[in-house]
This record gives sequence, C-alpha cells and structure tokens, in this order.
Amino acid sequence: MSQREMLMSVRSFFRYWMPLLVLALTSCMDYGPAEEEVFDVPRNEPLVFVVCEGNFQYGNASLSLYNPDSRRVENNVFARANGIPLGDVAQSITVRDGKGYVVVNKSGIVFVIDLRSLKITGSIPGLVSPRYIHFVNDAKAYVTDLYAGRIAVVNPGTCRITGYISTGEHKSTERMVAWGDYVFTNCWSYDDCILVIDTRTDTVVGEITVGAQPSSMVLDRNGKLWCTVEGGYGGAGEGTASLVKIDAATRTVERRFDFAVGELPRSLAIDGAGGRLYFINRSVWSMPVDATGLPTDPVLPYRGTLYYTLGVDPVGGELYVADAVDYMQAGVVYRLTPGGETLDSFRCGITPGGFCFVEPEI
Amino acid sequence: MCGMTRRIILLAGCLLAGFSVRAQLQERNIVIDSVRVTARRVLKDIGTQKSALDTVALRESVTNSLAEVLSQNSPVFIKSYGRATLATASVRGTAPSHTQVTWNGMKLNSPMLGMVDFSMIPSYFIDDANLYYGASSVNVAGGGLGGAVALGTRAADAEGFALRYVQGVSSYTTFDEFLRLSYGKGRWRAATRAYYASSKNDFHYTNYRKKVFDTNQQGNIVGYSYPRERNRNGSFNDLHLLQEFYLNSASGNRWNLAAWYIASRRGVPMLNVDYRDESESRNRQRENTLRVAGGWERSISRLKLAVRAGYSYTDLVYTYAGDAGNGTLTEMIRSESRAHTAFARAEAEYYFTDRLLLMANLSADQSVVSSIDRAAGHTTGDYDKARVEYSGFLSVKYRPAERLGLALSLREERYGYDWTPLVPAAFADYLLSRRGRVVVKASVSRNFRYPTLNDLYFEPGGNDTLRPERGLVCDFGTEFALGGEHRRWSLRGEVSAYDSRISDWIVWLPTFKGFWSPVNVRKVYSYGAEFKGEFSLRAGRDWRLSLRGNYAITHSVNRGDPVNWADEAIGKQLVYIPVYSAACTGRLDWRRWSLVYKWNYYSRRYTTSSNETATRFDVLGAYYMNDVSLERRFAVRWADLSLKFSVNNLFDEEYESVLSRPMAGRNFGFFLEIAPHRK
Repeated sequence: MSQREMLMSVRSFFRYWMPLLVLALTSCMDYGPAEEEVFDVPRNEPLVFVVCEGNFQYGNASLSLYNPDSRRVENNVFARANGIPLGDVAQSITVRDGKGYVVVNKSGIVFVIDLRSLKITGSIPGLVSPRYIHFVNDAKAYVTDLYAGRIAVVNPGTCRITGYISTGEHKSTERMVAWGDYVFTNCWSYDDCILVIDTRTDTVVGEITVGAQPSSMVLDRNGKLWCTVEGGYGGAGEGTASLVKIDAATRTVERRFDFAVGELPRSLAIDGAGGRLYFINRSVWSMPVDATGLPTDPVLPYRGTLYYTLGVDPVGGELYVADAVDYMQAGVVYRLTPGGETLDSFRCGITPGGFCFVEPEI
Repeated sequence: MCGMTRRIILLAGCLLAGFSVRAQLQERNIVIDSVRVTARRVLKDIGTQKSALDTVALRESVTNSLAEVLSQNSPVFIKSYGRATLATASVRGTAPSHTQVTWNGMKLNSPMLGMVDFSMIPSYFIDDANLYYGASSVNVAGGGLGGAVALGTRAADAEGFALRYVQGVSSYTTFDEFLRLSYGKGRWRAATRAYYASSKNDFHYTNYRKKVFDTNQQGNIVGYSYPRERNRNGSFNDLHLLQEFYLNSASGNRWNLAAWYIASRRGVPMLNVDYRDESESRNRQRENTLRVAGGWERSISRLKLAVRAGYSYTDLVYTYAGDAGNGTLTEMIRSESRAHTAFARAEAEYYFTDRLLLMANLSADQSVVSSIDRAAGHTTGDYDKARVEYSGFLSVKYRPAERLGLALSLREERYGYDWTPLVPAAFADYLLSRRGRVVVKASVSRNFRYPTLNDLYFEPGGNDTLRPERGLVCDFGTEFALGGEHRRWSLRGEVSAYDSRISDWIVWLPTFKGFWSPVNVRKVYSYGAEFKGEFSLRAGRDWRLSLRGNYAITHSVNRGDPVNWADEAIGKQLVYIPVYSAACTGRLDWRRWSLVYKWNYYSRRYTTSSNETATRFDVLGAYYMNDVSLERRFAVRWADLSLKFSVNNLFDEEYESVLSRPMAGRNFGFFLEIAPHRK
C-alpha cells in the first residue's frame, strides 16, 4: 500500500466509518423506569388472582388477574399498574377490605394493593422470609416466616409491625387457619408440628405433632384440621407421606391416611362449604371430609405434566389447577368443574403458585 | 480507611517520584512479557478452530479476570453478575459445563458442577491461553461440546532477579495488588506471583425496580421517586498465590512445577428487588482452593514424551444468614462441598516425517467429593462419592501436500464404570493462497459429555440413570493474513461458521416430589458464524495503531420435545444467550503514551424459555459498554514505571447484565506499575 493509498484509507475511515463507529459506541442501553398502566378493575364481577412465583433469584414474580365470567386474563398486573416488578418469589395473596396483601418471600416484603386500580397503597417491610398473612381482625394480622422463628404481628392500617410471636425452636411457619380465638399454623421446613396461637395474647399455647414436614392445611365444616404431611426431610420418600385429620378442639390427631412409598400429597384445598377436600398427588384428587379411605379415582389424572398447585373457588366450587410447564416460561391454569371437566384454561406468569378468589361487591 | 489513605499516599508519592526524575529520563525499553506471533502453519493445528489470547490481552489490566479477557477478545459470551461474582462462559450457545478448561494440563471444571467460574482466574496468573472451538476441543479434552480453554503458565525468559509490582486503586474502595518475583539462573527458573483484590463494591445506583412513595397527612400516596441505593453485600477479598519452578537439565529433560492457592471471600450481592436490609439478610461464598501440577518433558530425536501429574482441592461454602428474631444474623442455610482430585497424564508425539505426526495421550482423574446442605440446622441432603475418569486420545496429523493438511483424532473416555462412545474428530485445511496466507479449514466431530457427580448423586434429586450428552459439531472457516513485520501494517482476519446439534442435554427439572432432578431431555441446535479481525499500523517512529475485533452470530435453539401442549419453548433461543455479540479494542501508542479503547456489545437476551417480550422485565436489553484507559510509561534510573488511568462504563450506563442485578455506573481506576531493572 502506497502512502497516498494509506492517506486515502485514513480519510475515508474518518469520513464514513467514524460516524458509524461513534454512533455504535455511544448507543444507550434501554433501561430505566417502566411505564405505568391505568387499571379500573370492575368490582361487581368475580376475580381470581394468580400469584406467580417466578424463578428464584430472578426477581420475576408476577400477579395475574382472571375474570371467570368474561374468561379474560390480565398478566403482570402488578408491574403494569405500578411500574416496578413484584419481586423475587411471590408466595401468596390475601384479600381483605378491598385491598390485596401480596407476600413476596425472597424480597422480604408484603405489598398492599388497591383491588380496583391495582396500585400500591402501602407495604410491610422488615420481614426475613415471609410466607402468608392472616387477618385476626381489622387491627391485627399475622405474617408467617420460613426462617425467622417468629411470626410478625402487623397493624394492617398502618402497615407497621407491632410485635412478634416467638415460635421458639420452630423456625418455619406456613399457612394459618383460624378456629375460634385460636390460629393454627403448620411448621413445614424440617419440622413436624402444628402450632396453636392464642390470638388474645399473641402467644403460642400449644403444639400438635403430626409427622415430618406438614406442608398444607385447611379447616373443614366439622372443626377438623386437615394437613398433608410429606413424611421425610431429605426430600420425599424417607418416611410415609400422609393426610392427617386433627380435632381443633382437643388438638389431637384423629385419623391418618397413609400414602404408598414414593407418593407425596400436597396443595391441600377445601371447597367453600368445608365438605370436600382436594389435593395433588401427581394427579388431582378429591374426597369428602367424612371419607374413611383415600380416593381411588382422580378428579384430574396425571397427563405427563406436573400440577404445581390448586385452588377451589369457595362460591362456585370450581377447581383451578396450575401447570408450571418447564418453570422457565408462562404457566398455564386449568379451570375445571368440581368433577374435573375442563371449563377453560389460560396463560399466567412464571410458576403459578397460589390462587385468591375475590367475590363481587354487591 | 487508614489502609486506603496509606495506599493513596504511596501512590501519590510514586507519582511525584516519577515526575521528579523526569529530567533524568533516558531512553529505555520497557520490559514487558513477550508477544508470540506465529505465522507458520503448525502440523499440530491442522484444521483447528483456535484463538490465542496474547499477552497484550492478558496483561491489559490487573483488575481483569479471565472472564473479562474472554468477553473482550473472543466470541465467547460471558454471563457475569459483576466483578467478583460468578462468571460463566457460553461457547457457541452451549451451557457453561460444555466448555472444558485446563490449567497446565489439569482439568479445572468442578467434578460436581461441571463448570468453571472464570472470575476466579486472574488474567495476570495466565501466560498462555488458547481457546478451541467446537470439534477442535477434542484435541484438548473430552466433553467440550461448545469448546475448550487451555491455560498455562510459562517460565520467565531472562536471567537474574526480576520484579514486577502493580497496584490499582479504583472506585468503591477497590484495591488490586499484584507482585511477580522471578529468578533465573542457568537452567533454573523460579517465579512467585501474588495477587490480592479487595473491595467494598458498594457502588451507587438509581433503583428503577423500587419506588419510594410520598404520602400526605391522610396517608395517601401523592408521589414517588426511585431510590438511590448502594450495591449491598457485594464486598470481596480474593487472594491468589502462585509458585512456579522450571528446570531444563543438561540431559534434555524439562521439569516444571506450579502450585496455585486461592482464598476467596465474597458476598453475593442482593437483588435490586430485595427490600431487606444487609443487617437482616446476608449471602456469602467462601472458597479455598489449592492446585498443584508438575510435569516432565523430553524430546528425543523425532519423539517427544511428557508426563504430568497434579492434585487439586477445593472447599466451597455458601451461607445464608438472616435475622432470627434476636437482631443478630444467624446462619440459616449452609451448603458446603469439598473436592479432592488427583490427576496423571502421559503423552507422546512422534514425527514420522515433517509431514506426519502421531499424537497419543492417556489421562486419569480421581475425584473424591463430599457435599452437605443444611437448612435451619437440619441436613437437607448430603453425599460422598469417588469416581475415576480416564481419557485416551490418539491423533494422526498428515500434510500430504504443502497446501493440504488432514488430521484424524479419536478419544475414548470412561467415568466410573461407564464408557462414553468413541469420540471421533476429523480436520482438514487447505492453503488457497500463499500471498494472502488464505487458509480454509473444516472439522467435524461427534462428542460426548458425561454427567457430573451432582447430576448423578446429589441429595435429593441425583439421577444415576443419566446418559452422556451427545454432540455433533461441524465447523468451516477461512483465515487470511496480509502485511506483516516487513511492512508498516498488518491485517489478519478469520471467518468461521458452525453447526452443532446436542441431544440428551441434561436439565434439572422439578419432580412431583417437590425437589429438582436432572434428566436427559433437551435437544439444542446451535448454528452461527464468527468473525475475527486484527489490524495494526505503524506510522513513523512514534505512532502505532492497532484494532482488534470480533463479531458473532449465535443461534442456540431448543429443538426438544415439548413438555406438554402448552410448552412454547420449542424453536426458541436459549435463555441468556445473545444472538449477536461483538467486541472491539483499539490501541493507539504515541511514544510513551498508550490510549486503549474497549467496546463490547451483545444483543438483547431473553429470560424466559418461551422468549416472552410482554414486559421490559422479560427481556434484558442490548448491552453496549465502553471503557477507556490512558497509560504513560516512564523510565527512571532504577526502574521502569507506568501510570495508568482508566474509566470503565464511560457513558455511565445504567443497566442490569443479569435480571435484577444492578451494575456499576462510570467508575475509575489508577494503576501504578513498577519493574526495577534486572541486576
């Protein structure tokens, strides 16, 4: 290459290529605030919230909203309404007095949202690993925790933590069920009991040993607690998994339905009348609360997909069964009759892990 | 704070010292590590798709780990969470465990996880780094379905004592110290390297993933702002020590021994959607690793023999601590693994003629591992296992004509009591033009990667029925070189295309029992093209310009069977693999000044297997990064000095490289290098 050619090359570089290069170098990344969307959710129609856990450490939990009447679903409603993501691993949502309390486990927070606009109206921070919120009355709610070894007592009006209930050696507390002045909570993670809390004194007043890792719990119309027990600590399979029936008044185990080795019942739910139980054990099963044995025919047979969780509409009795597909994409919810016939199915967020049914305001 | 003040004073003192002696400056050459430039077509590399990371790239900055070097100087995509956090490599759209990494012949891939954290390899500790793509990895190790990275250390060239010290003081209370002390006499060489990096790593950022609400007297929300937060729990302390000995005996035997110790203490930074305080929640990672590798080599006429042996030990502990209600942090999760690996390798090369080479080697790795996971004081899973892995390799390289090269390689591996199928690889190259040194290359291989110990035995979930992953890789490429030493300029370029099909890809999926378990489920089809180029120009005595760049198109597509009817991941790009990526480094030298500009780009990445784009939280936007540094070299009576000032993230980009992981904005570094003259 001659010097003249070289000079021409350098000139053409600065004349033609340099502007392109500068443009490329100074391109900005698309990052920053997200837009907010205005929602006006009609409150005269039934609603179903689907809490989607997202992936651990991705911070991509989300909230979906389904209208069973219109069969319309809106996904990512929390992020769309508020312009910020819900957080890392959403665990549950509880509705009370026109507000939704969304517990986000790995973000350590409970968001309070308005059910009409879906906008944040408050938040409860200062929690280690929150799981569920249960309202004792208008001025008091409990928040359970996976690791803290205590239950936070919260004033929903001020969103402040007003105190704690020490659970002693029981580090993990999960779902809560009220019976009279008492709240029962199952200690799931490497534990084996259900704690009894006196809501008048905010203290643990008793415990019921049920078996290794009680995972879900409901109360039936007869005042009996039902609890699924995994039976082992190092994953399932060490011990026998079972469905345990407990008398809430005497706090004693009345009956234990054992499952075969390798089986694992979970996601226990009950219909609105408190007369029929539903749970997942590979397939979806149903049994009346006065049954004397485990069911033999599933409501929804296993079809090669993992049913992740289920919920039962307390009014219509319809079943909502979540399928997380590959856990890295939008999940699917199947809406079924109590007998298992498919009514609808819809897409939601990643890893749908819980349902909350909101009845229309009259 | 005292330490920081001391370091700043030291740095300032050296700066002043450097300027005060400016008048006495004489023309001296700065001693830098040698740069290897190879133009001859090597018989060993017939048809090989290979990139060498030269010393200029490896010594660009003391703050660099091999992750930054690979990201800037190769088409490899590095998924990184920021400095001193896990950095994994994806070669041609494959998983981190599909890249085999060796150091002085010894495998660095964890026997439990199968992958390598490149952030744990300081670039100043590596003298030779070669990246092998696709089929070419068979020549290095088995299981490199994406490729292989061969790293090594090398004896210092010169006789006598030599010392090199580099100190860096950077933003966020970050300090980097590097020392290399070497000695050579006669047939002996010895060197000691030490590297220590520490940082609070608490950069500020505006958190667009949270809002701080303003409320009126009635408690109603009337406005909001995005909080200005610090990176939390990101502090780190990394210590690396490396001792090397080399001996070339009079009888022609060459001996070497290297020992590398790592003590790393790192925080795992909190997500930007984590509302907890550092005092309520803390993740930490602690690693202690020792690697020792030694070898013997001898060339006897046409025969070259070598034996290598080594041992490595890694103790890795991850902990999560939370406030257990008493206001203090209590350990709630603890995951600990220990791995001992002994390795031995014998190899031989025989040149029948200068056109025919036979290579063979046999290696054995014995791993003994233990893993224990605890939560809330209970053991959630543990296993202790030992496994022997053998790998045998045979290759024939033949150049029947001056322009044509052919090679055939076979590898067979055994893990535990199981054998992988035979791994064949064929290579060819052809010199199209001598003038432009235009060479076309092609290669094809069938490769297998056997499951890791965690895949097989982790509790709970390990699956001992797993099969090896299978890969079929084809490469085609061409390269050219113009100009050279005898001219003022040089231009080199390389274009390659590949087609890779991996089946029985191991993926961990949830089971109905609640825990996750690995299965041979996925089929992935990867195809794409890579472009590499280098240009250098010397203008007059004082100016020198060099440009180096690469561009890659990487389609890595899920071609497996759908999980069920609802599975929309089939036919979609794999999560976190960018389709387009590019990097460019420009260096302008003028007398004793050097200006280096680095630009790095990759296209948007999906965070869901179905490639959702519904919200901005589903996709990570395109990444553009610009770094610049200015260096001035000085020569004083007793030493060569260098001062460098660098600006990273020049345009102060706000971004996340991985979902919910905030990254640092514009940040600065000052570096001082001292190399006393040899005695």
